Amino acid sequence: MLETIAVRFSVFLFPFLAASICVAAPKPPQQIDLSQFPADTIENVVVPVPSEIFAVLDKLGNPNWRTELGPKNTYAATADRAQIALLLGTVIADGFVAVEAEDSERVKEIGRNVLTLAEAINVRKSVVSRSNSIIEKADRREWNAVRREFDGALHDVNQAMVELNDGQLAQLVSLGGWLRGTEALTSIVQQKYSRDRAELLYQPLLLDYFSQQLAEMGSRLRRYRLVGEVEEAVGRMGPLIKKSSSNDITPETVAEINAITAKMVQRIRAKAG
Amino acid sequence: MKRYALRFFSVGLPVALAALFFVTSPAFAYVNDALSFAYEAANPYAQQGWLIREDAWGGDLGAGDKKAVTAQLFRGNRYMFFLATDVETASLRVNIYDSEGKLAESKSWQRGRFAFAEVRPRATGTYYAIVEVLSSPEERTGWALVYGFRQ
Repeated sequence: MLETIAVRFSVFLFPFLAASICVAAPKPPQQIDLSQFPADTIENVVVPVPSEIFAVLDKLGNPNWRTELGPKNTYAATADRAQIALLLGTVIADGFVAVEAEDSERVKEIGRNVLTLAEAINVRKSVVSRSNSIIEKADRREWNAVRREFDGALHDVNQAMVELNDGQLAQLVSLGGWLRGTEALTSIVQQKYSRDRAELLYQPLLLDYFSQQLAEMGSRLRRYRLVGEVEEAVGRMGPLIKKSSSNDITPETVAEINAITAKMVQRIRAKAG
Repeated sequence: MKRYALRFFSVGLPVALAALFFVTSPAFAYVNDALSFAYEAANPYAQQGWLIREDAWGGDLGAGDKKAVTAQLFRGNRYMFFLATDVETASLRVNIYDSEGKLAESKSWQRGRFAFAEVRPRATGTYYAIVEVLSSPEERTGWALVYGFRQ
């Protein structure tokens, strides 16, 4: 009896206790003028991790990811550091596709390939444990955990490069991943077009961000032809996305973006296959 | 203003959350502390299945100052933003607005040195997390913002 009273009392009391430690913030304005935030009061963009997109896609049905895996290839490092960085991004993105396809053998191969490419740009140490973890978890078919490891691998590589004062090279890893991810995403959307699926491509902020990063890239990286080609590809995609609103990206626009990204990924992978 | 890629090791957090603040200069120590608190705020949510991003934003603001943080959010996900400061008696808030400046969050609240906002985007696109120091005994108040998402 006493216990029941205590339980009821605590249930009754809980909202008041909660209210005493957790209060609603002062009511925010329903509308703000974003122009009151000049550039120096706006923070840089954090590029979404692929899992954010895959989480939505999961809800929109079961796409055929196996068709997106492409040929089984292991990519070797070349002498072109920009190419290796872009390539590493595409290979990590391949990892996500292989996870979606639940192909553990492919995931493991990709995990090893990530290590080879990371070594070529001096960030092997930072991804060794991720790579091992990817292989172990793929063996156990723990797909959500493998996704998180690939998210983390992208982050670790970027972080390591920034620490090596190679922040711009890190941007190329992100770009490579984004290009390959967008290629796979547009292909999936094309398989079974719907406005909901196409809406995932509405990323004007990221296009502006990548364009700006490429425009500010130093001469050391600009001498690589691929960097110019990526800049041009991103430049062509911007107007395609921005002419649309989030819920009216047409099948034609999806196809155009797919063609641009597929060609770019092919260029990045040329000579490295 | 820089975006700080941050790294922090916390006993209670999954390995995926581990991030170490690479800016080791003492001038950024308070941001580092603020980040620890931001992850502390996020920790219970990570245990409930929220995926907390390893990237974070941080800086310092004077009382009454605001900062806009841009983010690409996807309709279909839920997002939670965790804001914290190292100044125990400071009061902050974070609110989420869409690209037209309309309040987009479903709820926001404060708890001591922490502030939270949850948003279920009505459309995929650009959103702004407005970080604000409402009051603080310090001239400059360090802050850090992390976010998590789930389906």
